[in-house]
Parts: sequence; C-alpha cells; structure tokens
Amino acid sequence: MSVTAEAAAARAPVTHEPTRRRLPFEIKMLAPALLVLAAVSLFPFFYIIAMSLSQVKLIGGISFSWAALDNWSRLFGDGAVWASWVRSIVYFIATVGLELFLGVTIALAIHEAKRGRNILISVVLMPMFMAPVIVGLLGRFLTDSTYGLYAWILRSLHLYTGDILGTKTAAFAAVTLMDVWEWTPLIALIVLAGLASLPRSVLEAAAVDGASYWGRLRYIVVPMLGGVLIVALLIRSMDALRYFDIITNTTNGGPADATKIVPIRLYETAFRFFDLGYAAAIGLSMLFVTILIANGFMRVMKARGLAR
Amino acid sequence: MTSARGGVGSRIGLKLLLGVILLWTVVPLVWMVASSFKPADELTANPPSFSFKPTLDHYNALFSGGNNIGPYIRNSLLAAGLSTIIAVALGCLAGYGLARSHFRGKDHVAFWIISQRMAPIAAVVLPLFVIFRFTGLLGSVWGLIVAYLTFNLPFAIWIMNAFFAELHPSLEEAALVDGASRWQAFRKIALPLVLPGIATTAILCLVFSWNDYAFAVTFSGPTSQTLPIAASQLVTQTSIDWGQLTAIGTIVVAPMIFVGLIVRKWLVTGLTLGAVTGE
Repeated sequence: MSVTAEAAAARAPVTHEPTRRRLPFEIKMLAPALLVLAAVSLFPFFYIIAMSLSQVKLIGGISFSWAALDNWSRLFGDGAVWASWVRSIVYFIATVGLELFLGVTIALAIHEAKRGRNILISVVLMPMFMAPVIVGLLGRFLTDSTYGLYAWILRSLHLYTGDILGTKTAAFAAVTLMDVWEWTPLIALIVLAGLASLPRSVLEAAAVDGASYWGRLRYIVVPMLGGVLIVALLIRSMDALRYFDIITNTTNGGPADATKIVPIRLYETAFRFFDLGYAAAIGLSMLFVTILIANGFMRVMKARGLAR
Repeated sequence: MTSARGGVGSRIGLKLLLGVILLWTVVPLVWMVASSFKPADELTANPPSFSFKPTLDHYNALFSGGNNIGPYIRNSLLAAGLSTIIAVALGCLAGYGLARSHFRGKDHVAFWIISQRMAPIAAVVLPLFVIFRFTGLLGSVWGLIVAYLTFNLPFAIWIMNAFFAELHPSLEEAALVDGASRWQAFRKIALPLVLPGIATTAILCLVFSWNDYAFAVTFSGPTSQTLPIAASQLVTQTSIDWGQLTAIGTIVVAPMIFVGLIVRKWLVTGLTLGAVTGE
C-alpha cells in the first residue's frame, strides 16, 4: 500500500467524507459490495425485528398489528420450542461429536497412507458437494423398510428390523448419520490441513526418543491440532442451526416431533401455520445464538493471527 | 507422521480401516447412480437386486413429456450462476478493499460480514418471504438470485479478503512507485495472483446456491423452480418414483463433485472461511 493512501485511510473519517473523489481507494472498493449486502441483509434484519413485535397477517396482502412483546413472552414460556432447542443441542452434539471423531480418524488414516493419497482424499470428499436435499432423499431410499439397501443389511445382520424413519430413536439416529455422512469429509479435510502443517522435526525428535505412535498422537499431534479442531467445531455448530434440508426431506420433524429441531419448528410455524410474528421471534433467537458463535469464530481468527 | 507404524499388522490394520472408510463413503453414491439405471420393477425389490440390465428409461422420462426437467436445469443455472457472478465480482473488489484498509471500526464491518454468512437460513427466509411477497420478487428467478446473494456475497467478500490478505502488498507498492494507479495495481498485479482464490470462491458460491433447497422451496414459483425442488417433488403422498429421483440426484450431484474437486487444494481455506489455510 502506498504511504499516502495509508495515511489518508488512517486520517479520513470514513463516514462523513464531503466529496466522493477524496474517499480512500479501499473504501471505494468496499462500497458497492457493502451497499448491496446492506440492502439484502440489513433491511430484512430490521424487518424481522418488526415482525417479532407484531401480529402479522397475510390475508389480502399483508398487515401488521402491534403486539409489543407478546411473541417474546410466548416464546419464553413455550415448552415445545424449548424442546426443539434441546433436540437441536442433542443433534449438534451427536453430529459434531461423531464428525470430529471420524474426521480425525479418517485424516490420520489418509495421512498414513503411502500410496494413492490424492485419489483417497478426492473420493472421501465427494459427499460434501452433494445437495443436502439429495442426501436426505437418498437416505430415505436406503433406509426404506421394504426395499432399502441399508435397512436390508441391518435386517440380515439381525441388528435392526423396525421401520427406521418411523421410530423415534432410529429416525433421530438416521438423520444424524446422514449429516455425519455428508459433513465428516469437511472435518477430515480441515484436520489433514492441520496435519500437513505440523512441524516434522518435533515428531521425528519424539520418534527418536522412543515415543510410540499413540504416544505421539496423544501428546503432540492432538494438542497441536487444537486450533483447527476449534475452527471445525465452530463451522459445524453454525451449520447445525443453518441447514435443515436433510430433516425436511426425510422425517420433516417426525415421528412424534423426535427430529423437530429449531429451524424445522420455525419453518413450520411460519409456512404451515402462518404464525409469522411468532416465527420471527424464534428466528431472532436463532440469530442471537449464531452471533455468539460468530463472535467465538472471530476470536479464534484473531488468536490465529488471521483477522487483521 | 510418516514412518509411524512399524509392524506388518498395523499396515494391514490401516488398509482395512481405509477400506471401511471408502465403503462408508462410496456405497450410497454408487447405489444412487446404479439405481438410476435400474429397471423400474427392480428398484423396489426385496431383497435389493444387485444384478440387472441397465436402462436409460429414467433419464429419458426426465427429458420428455410433462415433467421435462429442462426448465428446472435452466432455472438452477440462472439463479446459481448469476448470483455467483455478482457475488464474486463484488467480493473481489470488497475483499481487496478490506484486506488493504486499516480504518477504525474495520473489525465491526468484518464481524457484520461474517455473521451474515453464518445466519440461519430459516431466519433469513422468513423476512425475505414477506418482503418478496409485496415487491413481486416471489416466484421469480430474480428473487432467488437476491436470496442467494444473502449468503454468497458475504462469503465471497470474506474469502477474497483472506486470499488478498495472504498476498504481501510489496508487489503492488512497487507498481505504485513505477507510476501505476491504485486500480491498476489491483487489476494488473493483485488480481492475477489470486486467480486460484477467485476460482475457489466462484465454485463454492456455485455449489452452495446450486444445492440450496430451503430458499428455493419457499420462494420459487412455477416458472422458477430449481433442480432440488424437482427432486423433492417426485416424493408424493402415495408414491415415490425412485428411478427418476436417483437420476435427478445423479444430475444434481455429479457436476458439483466435478467442479468441487478441481479446486481441492484451496477448498480448506474456502470452507473454513479462511481460518485454516491449505496444505
């Protein structure tokens, strides 16, 4: 960066620059994108706040009637929504727990492989690019109690004979595993990048000193991977609230609400019962949690020296 | 961690583990593709049939008659393609601006951008639905493009920022000393050096929006439905046409796996929003 521009950028009060010509170059570059982003995000954000404070009716156009904090007080007293939060947390712990464990295992195995590493990685990554709706529908096909391949395998091995998506626990396990199948590759990819950046000298020194493979794993590799694992955890935690396509297309929250996590609850409140004001309050509570996660993410970025 | 495990036993153990990993990954995919070529009566056989005479019936059905998926493909390409182009173009400019600036409050701007990318889809869909309803964007491809910008634009700005930040400014400074303008230094020096970053950003934007279901199912009308919607519509109360469904699944998935693997080397930067850098 040129000295003058840097000085100008430091000096210029960004918001109240009188003439457009004197705006710093960086701000001119930022402006178009930020204006578009503000249009597509800030307006809806204030809109959803207004919705959460109103009773919204869609009959004959749209009408708002002021409801003060009605939706909010209802939200805090609504056992069904709390139950969805609990389910979301269980779903998050189950998916992310399994994904971290399997992702680290897969990454370590691929890292050890002598030949064909590139092909292995490419194959393992494939599920990650699939549309979640297709993953859900495919999962439904595989678990169908009459002709599903996986249902048939489980039946043949005498492991499970019931209707997988029609039984509460089995359905929850199935949608969890579908998410795990699709997103474990992301964790494996992140951990592989972490493994590649480990200093070889430390590991070799430990090996020379007689540390076993497991010893090196336990005391050197895993602690050094801590940073990337936290990144993986944060990325997956925001996704757990963000996506709901797999569940929508398999159980749609059922059976008997067993898989009704918060986003499914919101969607149903808004677009099946058209209780838009209340749905807005649920949506804002989700946004609040997301902002907490994003905050954690920024801290990690700073700690890793990546956010400047 | 090379030369880690000595014994023959652990090498065999490793091979077994890799085999299980590959099976776990590949079986659903292979089953989907194989089923799309299976004759209709064998799709719902119990037990599942493993040998069959391949047929193109399901693909032919998808491209002819009443439920021709041609328009769905066009809508998917338009919505995902245009939102990607807009997001990447604006994202390159803004990512560079963000990476090279030091204004007060930069952290807040950065935080705002990243939190937009992370916002739960259900919470974004809701206000947009009401806004689109009275602006006439509901049911049009333009509505989808705007909806996809809500996540693609913050994503593109953020990732391009990460790629530009890795680029040392000394090259651009040298160009400025030689009399280039700031724009020329960006356009001729910085931009060509982050081409892999641009490709990664574009491909990930494309994958995210091509794969979207939640926005499309809420906003699209008869003239703007995308491929994921076509797939979910094959599920009806009474029956599911698994042959056509697995065929659409293959059509939706194959191109994304292909383009995704092209930028494999830079994926980790893109998918961790710049928090982890590649191999």
